[in-house]
Amino acid sequence: MFEKVLIANRGEIALRIHRACREMGIQTVAVHSTADADAMHVRLADESVCIGPASARESYLNIPAILSAATITGADAIHPGIGFMSENAQFAEMVEEHGFTFIGPTADHIRIMGDKVTAKKTVSDLGLPVVPGSDGPVPTLEEAEKIARDIGYPVLIKAAAGGGGKGMKVARNPEQLREAYQLARGEARAAFGNDEVYIEKYLGRPRHIEIQLLADLHGNVVHFGERDCSVQRRHQKVIEEAPSPALNAAQRDFIGELAARTTRGFGYRGVGTMEFLFEDGQFYFIEMNTRLQVEHTISEMITGIDLVREQIRVATGAPLGYTQADIRFHGHAIECRVNAENPETFAPSPGKIGGYHAPGGLGVRVDSALYDGYRVPPHYDSLISKLVVHGTTRNECLMRLRRAIEEYVIGGIDTTLPLHQRIIAQPDFINGAYDIHWLEQLMGMKK
Amino acid sequence: MATFDIDGDLIRKIADLLRETGLNEIEFAEGDKRLRITRSAPAAAHVVHAAVPAAAPVPTGSASVAAAPTTGAAHPGAVTSPMVGTAYASPEPGAAPFVKVGDTVKAGQTILIIEAMKVMNPIKAPRGGTVSEILVADAQPVEFGEVLMVIE
Repeated sequence: MFEKVLIANRGEIALRIHRACREMGIQTVAVHSTADADAMHVRLADESVCIGPASARESYLNIPAILSAATITGADAIHPGIGFMSENAQFAEMVEEHGFTFIGPTADHIRIMGDKVTAKKTVSDLGLPVVPGSDGPVPTLEEAEKIARDIGYPVLIKAAAGGGGKGMKVARNPEQLREAYQLARGEARAAFGNDEVYIEKYLGRPRHIEIQLLADLHGNVVHFGERDCSVQRRHQKVIEEAPSPALNAAQRDFIGELAARTTRGFGYRGVGTMEFLFEDGQFYFIEMNTRLQVEHTISEMITGIDLVREQIRVATGAPLGYTQADIRFHGHAIECRVNAENPETFAPSPGKIGGYHAPGGLGVRVDSALYDGYRVPPHYDSLISKLVVHGTTRNECLMRLRRAIEEYVIGGIDTTLPLHQRIIAQPDFINGAYDIHWLEQLMGMKK
Repeated sequence: MATFDIDGDLIRKIADLLRETGLNEIEFAEGDKRLRITRSAPAAAHVVHAAVPAAAPVPTGSASVAAAPTTGAAHPGAVTSPMVGTAYASPEPGAAPFVKVGDTVKAGQTILIIEAMKVMNPIKAPRGGTVSEILVADAQPVEFGEVLMVIE
């Protein structure tokens, strides 16, 4: 088992990782920017190292500073968290080259899944259904026009180096294709340094269904069921629930098994999530995230298994120690991502928290680094809390969630709690009848 | 809903009572009527459970030499570390240190080396002056922003 783990991240996920380490008797090193000197996980960690000024590029994305911090503290392993460098193959490689264990998959797998074109090809070759589209990158407008004609409009032009909902443009008809194609390439170059794009059929009313996977270093792979993350705004998840109200038991077993078998097929290790679009009973692979996800929490609630602990455990080389049959699903869980933003305009709202009271009670979990008097810095993403609720049935879960949101007080800044209250009161949500366009339609952002 | 006759005299009497006795709140009920009067007190100190200790910064090598750092980064003469690594006072083991307390230095003069990932990075004096304090010991780990020296 590791003696000391360096947490190369910040905010609520850094606190999450610290907690898992602490429960395993592992010492923690919190690296932080100057802006995060008073962060909760920095205060709780066994050691802390300031690695740079507020800007992410000079701190959380600063590979030499992080490796240096690991060296001077004598850490054994580095946990990359979510975002930042968790899917940076070069970082993973350098960590291992310097003698630390990277808590995650190999650099090769990060690379393969990080390029959305090779990811689709890899899983497709192993028999996984994918969204119909170009079989590879689309280097010219002429090819784009031909492919769009073949697969049928509307189409989605996506950055090969993108992911996480970023770098995508829709073309609903041939007239829109030229501009969408050129914009997509320009944005991809600016955002990812790589203007390679591919094309997919744009599905009309799909749900976003993803499978949580865990693989040890000995070829054992299990899945922890699906998560329905269809409630999205601008391709960013807002609410997630597990299990999905749209799947029956047969569909759940089918896609879980298929995802696990495919993952075993390319020798993966660590946690990972395969994301699919689900429409008319069909699953279509869109991408795989080779890291822990924000919404891992709801899978933990319905299985009772600590996924961060498992992630750390398998990274030490330990075998899983259990099989798919040992994983049982109980009840229903929903997570609300609470952002420091105005709930109507989504204008960012950093600043000092005045008056903080988190809800409690049976089946209520709050993953947050907030505390009374804490100052939410303006330099990073706006996720400040995850309210996670579990119930024995979906109905009980919904009632509990409504009650828990009412209790939750985050004073001094704007938060999206009122948006969540509005969403969970909608009949469509209560009936589980929503797809990935639903929230934006509700908010009047699209027809 | 039944109307609730507000008895101004009663409330005034109760308010006086609170003030006299130093109590903060009184509530009483009669039948289905309930009255609660609260005296707003200055914000009570929060009850903090399990006081959260600040995590130990990277252990200072020879704590006795550096002593509790009294010089903060706000000191006008403070020279702070631009990186994370291990600070070395001399160009190589056994050699004389770059500077001692009391030395006069010129802007741009090397005062320390910070080693990170096997690369030795010379740290230059940002201004000329006299070295009044050296806060890091030889081979001490340092973090970004840590005060290394004071040059006045």
